[in-house]
Amino acid sequence: MDVPYEKPLPIIPDYERPFWEATKKRELRLQRCADCGHIRYPSSPICPECWSSEYEWARLSGRGKVISWIVYHRAFTPAFAGDVPYNVAWIELEEGPRLVANIIKVKNEEIHTDMAVQEAFIDITDELTLLQFQPAT
Amino acid sequence: MNAVDPRKEIAVVGVGSSRFGRDLQMDKLSLIAEAFKEALDDSGLRKEQVDGLIVNLGVDCDLLPMLLGMDVRYAAQTWPHARLCATVVHWAGMAAVHNTANYVACIWCYTSSETRNLGSGLGDAQRVGGGPHFERPEYGMIHPGAGVAMATRRYFELYGSTSEQLGAVAVAHRKWAALNPKAVFKKPITIEDYLNSPFLIEPLRLLDFSPVTDSAVCIIVSNADRAKDCRKVPVYILGLQGMKSGREHIIMAREGLSLGQQRVTSFSPSMKDIPVYGMAGITPEDVDCAYIYDAFSVSVLFTLEEFGFCPVGEAANWIQDGRIEPKGELPVNTNGGNLSECWAGGWAHIVEAVRQVRNECGERQVRNAEIAQFMITPGVAIVFGR
Repeated sequence: MDVPYEKPLPIIPDYERPFWEATKKRELRLQRCADCGHIRYPSSPICPECWSSEYEWARLSGRGKVISWIVYHRAFTPAFAGDVPYNVAWIELEEGPRLVANIIKVKNEEIHTDMAVQEAFIDITDELTLLQFQPAT
Repeated sequence: MNAVDPRKEIAVVGVGSSRFGRDLQMDKLSLIAEAFKEALDDSGLRKEQVDGLIVNLGVDCDLLPMLLGMDVRYAAQTWPHARLCATVVHWAGMAAVHNTANYVACIWCYTSSETRNLGSGLGDAQRVGGGPHFERPEYGMIHPGAGVAMATRRYFELYGSTSEQLGAVAVAHRKWAALNPKAVFKKPITIEDYLNSPFLIEPLRLLDFSPVTDSAVCIIVSNADRAKDCRKVPVYILGLQGMKSGREHIIMAREGLSLGQQRVTSFSPSMKDIPVYGMAGITPEDVDCAYIYDAFSVSVLFTLEEFGFCPVGEAANWIQDGRIEPKGELPVNTNGGNLSECWAGGWAHIVEAVRQVRNECGERQVRNAEIAQFMITPGVAIVFGR
């Protein structure tokens, strides 16, 4: 990376490291409970359904749809000033969990409810690759 | 236990607030003292009689009593988020009902120095699992309005409500503020003004955000017996509900929007789902004035639906034609709310609710106001009555 990354980095607890190891390999993996099969988000050391501490990091399809989205017309932190107006979307993955990301390679005005999206991966530092989404092909 | 009416156990015996304004350049302690003095005067109590103190936001509960020269036997404080205001009032009431304190002062103070932790800085937004308002700073999802803006978009898409309809909230709050000498933002606005105000976090506009202003509030709570020693007729807490939390509950929004990890995708509350009404012995029709936590305008819509004032999906329609304005069917935030009186969390709303029930509100007094209900979506409610 030549240009220092100015944006806030995610706060990564130890149990979430495998998520980031996966994104570096361009994989979307979430925890799937070994006891009840529930796939959880946000990441957590125990299953919210059955409280088991046994899980594996399951590879997901990377596909989902837009549930909602917002567009920032003001940068509330300076690092995002150059991106304004930028979108943030709530994506419902095919497997059920919902997570927040930016939708890239799209005009903000084109985003719509139930829009099909798929995973995208953006290297932000030498160690970290951020999961994003883009319109599904 | 109040043998006459078991609902009337917890009493508000004094309310007070500081000057309100933008960037007052005052320290928190001085503002708190201003509010506390007014509450003491209102209650007829001396400082020495106040033996409980719970802080929602302001100065820590170990330091404040020392600086105010108090001797407190029930001190506590909450996670410093404004949505815990009703929790604090309830907590104070429980302490008084159990006689672990006679008179409990509830304290709020917000000054502009805190703004740095809100809009321009990251504060506790950087938290494992996401910030307390659903912030995800790595994606630029920051500011307490972020999650509620997502909820607004979802709501508009589900029910066909429009930005223009939402503008009725901001317009109504200015009309109430015009009748309130303490309000910071009294200038009337029209729907055209609202639609011309820029998007900040689209679909929310500048006029959907309560402006940052400085304030302190003090509310003194007691039990039915001790309330008899105070100056004014007590205002009782006839019923209440706590703050909801968990997968189905989104801060400042409501259930059934398919946001976050909500599983339930529809929402149709019945009266048994809203226990505050049974507890207080009322229905929504009995509420003379409603106090709705309005950090952001859209929460008014979610709250009206959650508490059964209008059908689910109908709130944007329901608030049109002056329904929540002065002389309207359901006065909402008669002080002007956070949107137009002052940013004071829910505290100035509670002060106003108490004053309305006491018939002290002058030009903005709601006629025959007997029942005032304070609400924060999701879950929180307090019914005040005499």
